[in-house]
Amino acid sequence: MRIIDRREFLKSASSLGVAALGARAIDAFAQDVLNIGVVHQFPIGEVGWETQQALGWKAIEAAFGGKVKVTAVADVQQAQDAERVFRELASRGNKLIFGTTFSQMAPMLKVARALPGTHFDCCASVTTTKNMGAFEARNYEATYLAGVVAGRMTKSNVLGWVGAFPVPQVLWRLNGFMIGAHSVNPKAVCNVIWINTWNDPAKEKDAVAALVSQGADVLAGSPNTPVQGVAAEERGAWSIANCSDFSKFVTKRQLTGDILDWRSAYVESARDELAGKWKAQDRFRGLGEGGFCTMAPYNPAIPAEVVADVKQREADIIAGKLKVFAGPLKDRDGKERVAAGASLPDKEIRSINWVVGGVNGAFPKS
Amino acid sequence: MDAITPVVIATLGAGTPLIYAALGELVTEKAGVLNLGVEGMMLVGAIVAFILVLTTGSTTVGVAGAAVAGALMALLFAFVTLTLQANQVAAGLALAIFGTGASAFIGKGYIGVALERATPAGFTLPIDIPLVGPLLQALHPLVYLSWLVFAGVSWFLARSRVGLALRAVGESPGSAHAVGYPVIRIRYLATLFGGAMAGIGGAYLSVVYAPLWLEGMVAGRGWIALALVVFATWRPARVMLGAYLFGGITIIQFFAQGAGVGVASQFMSMLPYLATIVVLILISRDATRMRLNAPVSLGKPFHPSS
Amino acid sequence: MWPNRGIAWQVMRISLEPRVAPSRAMRWASPLVAVALTMLLGVVLFAALGKDPLAGLHAFFIAPIDSVNGVAELLIKASPLTIIAIGLAVGFRGNVWNIGAEGQLVVGAIAAGWVALQPALAESALTLPAMIVAGALGGMAWAAIPAWLRTRFNANEILVSLMLTYVAQLLLNYLVFGPWRDPQGFNAPQSPLFPEAAMLPILIEGTRLNASVLLTLTAVAVGWVFLSRSFPGYQTRVSGLSGAAARYAGFSERRTVWVGMLAGGAAAGLAGVGEAAGTLGQLLPSLSPGYGFIAIIVAFVGRLHPVGILFAGLLMSLLYLGGDSAQISMGLPAAAAALFQGALLFFLLGTDVLVNYRVRVRRSATTASAQGAA
Repeated sequence: MRIIDRREFLKSASSLGVAALGARAIDAFAQDVLNIGVVHQFPIGEVGWETQQALGWKAIEAAFGGKVKVTAVADVQQAQDAERVFRELASRGNKLIFGTTFSQMAPMLKVARALPGTHFDCCASVTTTKNMGAFEARNYEATYLAGVVAGRMTKSNVLGWVGAFPVPQVLWRLNGFMIGAHSVNPKAVCNVIWINTWNDPAKEKDAVAALVSQGADVLAGSPNTPVQGVAAEERGAWSIANCSDFSKFVTKRQLTGDILDWRSAYVESARDELAGKWKAQDRFRGLGEGGFCTMAPYNPAIPAEVVADVKQREADIIAGKLKVFAGPLKDRDGKERVAAGASLPDKEIRSINWVVGGVNGAFPKS
Repeated sequence: MDAITPVVIATLGAGTPLIYAALGELVTEKAGVLNLGVEGMMLVGAIVAFILVLTTGSTTVGVAGAAVAGALMALLFAFVTLTLQANQVAAGLALAIFGTGASAFIGKGYIGVALERATPAGFTLPIDIPLVGPLLQALHPLVYLSWLVFAGVSWFLARSRVGLALRAVGESPGSAHAVGYPVIRIRYLATLFGGAMAGIGGAYLSVVYAPLWLEGMVAGRGWIALALVVFATWRPARVMLGAYLFGGITIIQFFAQGAGVGVASQFMSMLPYLATIVVLILISRDATRMRLNAPVSLGKPFHPSS
Repeated sequence: MWPNRGIAWQVMRISLEPRVAPSRAMRWASPLVAVALTMLLGVVLFAALGKDPLAGLHAFFIAPIDSVNGVAELLIKASPLTIIAIGLAVGFRGNVWNIGAEGQLVVGAIAAGWVALQPALAESALTLPAMIVAGALGGMAWAAIPAWLRTRFNANEILVSLMLTYVAQLLLNYLVFGPWRDPQGFNAPQSPLFPEAAMLPILIEGTRLNASVLLTLTAVAVGWVFLSRSFPGYQTRVSGLSGAAARYAGFSERRTVWVGMLAGGAAAGLAGVGEAAGTLGQLLPSLSPGYGFIAIIVAFVGRLHPVGILFAGLLMSLLYLGGDSAQISMGLPAAAAALFQGALLFFLLGTDVLVNYRVRVRRSATTASAQGAA
């Protein structure tokens, strides 16, 4: 495990600008080690959300070697338990503690308030305090590009989306996907099924089967596992990966995917903490160097000009020339959400609860 | 394919793990043993089958291994409840927790790994049958095997001598013992059979259906299987009906969502559970018929010398 | 007809002889035997995982409670398990199988949450008492469904209470994703934070120990009086012991079902209040890590007796804390903790046999009792 991670890290270390620091860190004798704690909600698997988080803290180990000691606690499913584990990690001398999911925000806020001397960083948090930072991915940039691919590759003009729960993180990804598809294929629609569970791959598969038999030929969604891609492949449909690259398992019909990459989030925090200049930040980053998401490899079946177009758009997004949520933008009920010439502010992206036209399915109203 | 066939195929697939687990539990309960640990046995079956298929490449080996693993889990339960006379409800729940933990422990290194699909789900019929043909070809052999198990269990309980003995043990272990039936041994074997079937049900999920390992991926189907046995008033044919009803409603609500039905998805997801309750009420209203099939000594310990 | 060498055959070499009266000594000794066996298993397990066994046991059983804060955490975790188990014990003693306490907990929390989120009650001293009442009523209402279907339509309460657990969970999901979603909460699935007046007070400053443990202690006392002293308690016990005896004594099965289900529902609802208004302070899609199911085991490990249940709840709680603690201090996998918990339960249940039976291990492959059967 560690060897692979280190190799992977070296590939990106220079871009993170920490290689030099890392090398020095390894030389240093582990006299005053920085203890870092990480709390995972579920066990760490081969692929999926927790795996991508784990790649983050493993990058810390790879960069700073003996200067840090990471304690990762897995399978802390409930918010009540997370609060206790945060406290326990702090009381055992962990100076920097990472949360890995939104549901840990509330307990972390409580602990951070009680322990001002400890620094916290919570993935997907929407709040920051003096000693608690946040990091979140603008992965709608990646799903936008995937949507462009999907819009070009669909024959039926029906896309499918299988989601676990309709949280904002999923809705901004879904909207990005649809905006991307519409930019190249105005006729495309996307049918959505919610399965209301995180850990039932059989239901995900049933949902994919339902969508495919109703005409969808490109499947995306919020899979944490390769199961949606496998199910789509079995039925001759394309799929888009999410979280991790599933091409090892979905060998033929994975078009691309929006991949999470938290390594810079973890490594920068640890670097600042080691240097004694950690500051709570709200980091919301998308594609590009030091960003929090990347694209999975493009399927060879995608025509070269489509890939070229997508890569151009990626460069434009990174350069700030292309905004995914650019106006004029209406929701599916026809209400204008972004005026022409404007683009959706970050705060509204992070609390998004509407979907663009072409998305079919039930969405919670507040 | 027409609009109905995909729904039927998906329903048959979704019902199959429930059928294995529920038919196994039915036999166990008919012998008077209430094993609430089905979820745990299914999970252990699922991970054992998954690892075996990943390493040997043979689904047969995987399914057989799952049956053995499920039976071993059931043996643990049987030892504690039948030999050591522990409370069956509590031991069954402990088995569910233990199985969840054990499967997670065994499967640590396999989370999110998907199996390569070497063979297509079904097979090719030599002749082309309209309507039914595509349906039959799309089904996995384990679906057909579940029908055989159903036929076997039905025959065994209704017609065979051993089945008669098993029912006698479930009705009145005291009299069964008096006429010379080995009560404890019959209960052991019935419990092991239930475990083996639960194991196969789990294997179906992890190596045929998904095919992938995820902690807790049985996702409550063991509990549903238990419910189906009661729902079926301990009759195999009704287990089939219940499993397909439950599976079918799950599937239909997905099709409805995909077709853009605007009801909140949470209410759609409630449908299978609510439908099960409603049908149960309809079935249970006739109290005497219900009692006719329920094993009288279900869940009660028996000691030969008492 | 019967094979001479089945698996059962080998096991039967251990034979049990019923005691004339349950052994008082064993009543106390059997849990100790179980704990000793678990320790032994722990030593083997930790060694197999390449960890120092003694450090492992320390991390599991001592480290979590070596501070005031640790003890507070132990009590917080034991509280919902204990209170639910006491409520369920009332039903279980009468053979009323409520296994849907998890759903009743959720509905109790929903009811209490509804009260907490009423703007009119934001600063009222009545908020908390109203929430406690609402929580208990919510749990009872959810438990009343299986009770009514059982008494009216003869529908099996195991199945109905279990199915309703899934329904309750989805209902909570619907509320926090939809109508009750925090308008200031970035549209994340959670209710607004409860106002201060709706929070259970903290008992020891600097810890999370809140007043829910007082509710639980009250329930232990009430449960003790109810189950061993009062008339309705006697009633559920009798009809649990034998249907005929109960009918002879004039006890109605219908009443036993209602009392048993409602007691379990009320207790689970209170546990829901404890989570929502205690450790969480809001409604979240996931309120409970399966307390309603675990409490069933707690009830049996505690032998359906309030004091036994209290000890069983504390032990179960310790196992949870120990699992996390062993992960932090020794890098023990989370799954090992779950395995360990399951094993302890089996030992506890299995060793209970010593109370009512004497164990004889025989060399011969046949025993008197099996011989008669062969």
